[in-house]
Amino acid sequence: MTDLEFDPHRYEHALDQREDHAPGDEPEESAGHWVRNYVIGLGFAGALTIASFWAAATHLIWGPAVPVAIAVLAIAQMGVHLVFFLHITTGPDNTNNILALAFGTLVVFLILAGSIWIMNHLNGNMMPMDQMMQMQQ
Amino acid sequence: MFGNLSWSAIPFDQPIPLITSAVLILGILGVLGLVTAKGWWPYLWREWITSVDHKRIGIMYIALGVLMLIRGFADAIMMRTQQALAIGAAHGYLPPEHYDQIFSAHGTIMIFFAAMPLVIGFMNFVTPLQLGVRDVAFPTLNSVSFWLTASGALLVNISLFVGEFARTGWLPYPPLSEATYSPGVGVDYYLWAIQISGVGTLMTGINFVTTVLKMRCPGMSYLRMPMFAWTVLAASLIIVAVFPILTACLAMLTLDRYFGFHFFTNTAGGNPMMFWNLIWAWGHPEVYILVLPAFGIFSEVFSTFSGKPLFGYRSMVAATLFICIVAMMTWLHHFFTMGSGPAVNTAFGISTSVIAVGTGVKIYNWIFTMYGGRVRLTVPMLWSLGFIFTFVIGGMTGVLLAVPPADFLVHNSMFLVAHFHNVIVGGVVFALFAGLEYWFPKAWGFRLHEGWGKAAFWFAFFGFWVTFAPLYILGLGGMTRRLQHINVEEWRPMLQLSVVGVGLIAISAVCQVTQLVVSILKRDQLRDVTGDPWDGRSLEWATPSPAPFFNYAVMPDVEGEEAYWNIKQRAMETQQMGPEPTYHPIEMPVNSSVGFFTAVFASIGGFALIWHIWWLAGLALLGAFAGFVVFAWRDVHEFEVPAEVVAQVDRARRAARDAFLARLRAAEGEPS
Amino acid sequence: MTDVEFPVSVEALRRIREDPHRLGHRGHPVREVVAGAGHGLTGPASKRIIVGYGFWIFLLSDFVMFACFFATYAVLQGQTAGGPTARDVVDPTRVAVETTALLLSSFTCGLSFAATNARNKLWTQVFLGLTGLLGLIFVLLELQEFIELAQRGATPQRSAFLTAFFSLVGCHGLHVTLGGVWLATMMAQLQVKGFRREIMHRLVCFNLFWHALDIIWVALFSVVYLMGSLT
Repeated sequence: MTDLEFDPHRYEHALDQREDHAPGDEPEESAGHWVRNYVIGLGFAGALTIASFWAAATHLIWGPAVPVAIAVLAIAQMGVHLVFFLHITTGPDNTNNILALAFGTLVVFLILAGSIWIMNHLNGNMMPMDQMMQMQQ
Repeated sequence: MFGNLSWSAIPFDQPIPLITSAVLILGILGVLGLVTAKGWWPYLWREWITSVDHKRIGIMYIALGVLMLIRGFADAIMMRTQQALAIGAAHGYLPPEHYDQIFSAHGTIMIFFAAMPLVIGFMNFVTPLQLGVRDVAFPTLNSVSFWLTASGALLVNISLFVGEFARTGWLPYPPLSEATYSPGVGVDYYLWAIQISGVGTLMTGINFVTTVLKMRCPGMSYLRMPMFAWTVLAASLIIVAVFPILTACLAMLTLDRYFGFHFFTNTAGGNPMMFWNLIWAWGHPEVYILVLPAFGIFSEVFSTFSGKPLFGYRSMVAATLFICIVAMMTWLHHFFTMGSGPAVNTAFGISTSVIAVGTGVKIYNWIFTMYGGRVRLTVPMLWSLGFIFTFVIGGMTGVLLAVPPADFLVHNSMFLVAHFHNVIVGGVVFALFAGLEYWFPKAWGFRLHEGWGKAAFWFAFFGFWVTFAPLYILGLGGMTRRLQHINVEEWRPMLQLSVVGVGLIAISAVCQVTQLVVSILKRDQLRDVTGDPWDGRSLEWATPSPAPFFNYAVMPDVEGEEAYWNIKQRAMETQQMGPEPTYHPIEMPVNSSVGFFTAVFASIGGFALIWHIWWLAGLALLGAFAGFVVFAWRDVHEFEVPAEVVAQVDRARRAARDAFLARLRAAEGEPS
Repeated sequence: MTDVEFPVSVEALRRIREDPHRLGHRGHPVREVVAGAGHGLTGPASKRIIVGYGFWIFLLSDFVMFACFFATYAVLQGQTAGGPTARDVVDPTRVAVETTALLLSSFTCGLSFAATNARNKLWTQVFLGLTGLLGLIFVLLELQEFIELAQRGATPQRSAFLTAFFSLVGCHGLHVTLGGVWLATMMAQLQVKGFRREIMHRLVCFNLFWHALDIIWVALFSVVYLMGSLT
């Protein structure tokens, strides 16, 4: 081992022609593969969107379950976007992207759930603002 | 034509800001005049202002941070002296409107424009060197980040001379910060300065997450990275996760103030408590952004100056990532008293106490690193030992505050003020001074004078405790924070003792400046010839001092942890250098002025928005966009460094180390 | 290693060779060497991956910012101050058209990216143009919605609910508008400079951005418009 030397050819045989990918990017795939992905994605996303609008308008679903249905359909649509449009897969070439997404999802969840939980409690315990203003007048 | 701006914005009737501003403006004009007279502008423009070199940008960040640290310290001196004087019948020398601006500016400047730039400066300077690469992932974006931060700092400092600063504290809580109750420009200065610099910081976070995850020299897997690189990753992840919260929250307040929206107003259904929730969801992780790289600096210092590898490397990594995640789950402890009730308070009280476990693991690992090693009491090591003592006590008061019933008694008292200064000064500031001593030779090619450094440490250490221990006592005695006038005579002795401490810290600051001047004058005696003045263990010590602009002539190939240590051991055992490598041309990014011009437009635009000069704000926005398009249109992004130049620099490096090994051979006789 | 004394490491060589308390220094072999996948064994990743990943991180930070506006909307949605409620401001028909436009624009954006990878400038520009057109339809419909609401007195200054509504929807609309400006600049650059390396990188980023905007819109129309239209 020489002092501070890197042999650029050292890892070529080990690469097995696999390379890491940025999300949404698989340059060595053919154009046909791409278009097929997008068409399938559009199909799924479109169907789920129509289902969402229908769920909001219909009387066939029990009232309190409708927001849950909309939420589930929304998550499904986001999944379709991530998989078909952004090519987020579970291969080793996508690990960094998945981990980053998981981290982002965790933060979003903490903010949404945390804020709603905290503010609900605060609003329940503390005097409403308009009453407090009236007290000061 | 000029919005709300008029001659009455200049504080002719307030002597302190007026005289301070006059002195500062004269000083700045003097410096600018000197630079012009000596013809230094081309050099400064080419080598510093348009530089995209992470080392240069890091040094500029640190310079900005040090300047703002002095300004923040000046505010602190004023606050402590005012409180020591304004007791009972006496009223001190600062009227309330002015005192309120001082404590607001002190906190804002210290967190956003002193501590953050200093920490980010170290992240910038050290990380690519430790990872064995030539620059960060996005060098030009790095330059933009720095200049936007500088733009924010400029706006805050302009408020001293034109208009006023916010009087709402370093976090502008509504309803006080709403337009109804703070109709002046103060809060607007704050909002635009923080938003502009916040964009810069977010881009830094993105830059370093990408650098650490995607750009390391060959062979450097995750578990072979130096500990500082891990803490940079964790801090950058937190930046990416929480600075958008700050942006959103301050944007909401800005919309309230400028357009009469009702996010946080106390009419039409607004909810001021939501501001507290969002701002602290940013605010708590923010302090971990500051402290995690500080912990990283200590990991480097402890292992280098104990002559041992860091104890429990994997547990350190685990603890760092643990702190990174849990830091985002504790923010409610800043408003236990706002009334969310026992269930919510308990949950966050538990998470706050739990995060101390991660830090505890780190403290034990540092202590065990020293155990069995040969500890050298150099200046960085002194700061580190001072940190262990100071930070542990500060952390313990934090765990006390984490218990909601206890917090109900001391929330917003001087006990709280003492606690957070204890951990920030003991943790972050001590680390910054340790890091300055440690990496100064790598930046400038000579060490800092040790005697003055030790003096600076001891005055800072005792000065800190004499300043803040009385504040703990006052807090337990019932004194609340941010008082311009004190009615309780019993508090006088502690307040006066605190001012003595401030004097000691001021002496420490003088020692630091003296150290720098003396070191520059004596730089030939303090020269770092080989590039490895401390017998270091990580890759940055393989480069000459100062490091060449391309960092490494040939990217290192790493085979284990402590990459440089292994190379060094091998060289020592064989008592000779490895064979000379083959040198290839290197591609480096070209300089760019886009960072500087973006900041110019941001400053003009921010100022215009503060004073409601709408046409100027529009022009500035257009200017920024135009500048960006011009930058995006450039054809040349990189320039090639010829192999001969690379070879020349590297041969000089090898010669210096060869000379050292020759001395080793001569001293020890034949190789074993 | 100072000029004056020999390094501690020389003595360390003789006395303390290994820290007897070392934990976890065994290391573990990596099963599959994937370049740039992060194990770092093959050196820095290529520029295209670095740019794409960095932009992905930026997008995640943008998601966090939207989460704050969503959280604020969730907290303030009941605070109507006697003014219009969600049911009063939501128009499902218009939202359905907006959703269709944006979803189709995501599709055309993807097609443009397929054309980019095939280095076909004409089809790239055609599909980018369609994307921009559909995005413009979306923004114009939203502007129309805002103006109509304002004319009815449902302004963001009326109540906290309306503040949160206009800010959340407006923030997304602003992102789409800025995306449109970016798109126009990209089309001009592509026309002048062709498929150069940095243009390719920027198109990767634009692609990511536009799809991310549609992901946000899915959450937005579901939570604000669909759930808002329920009794």
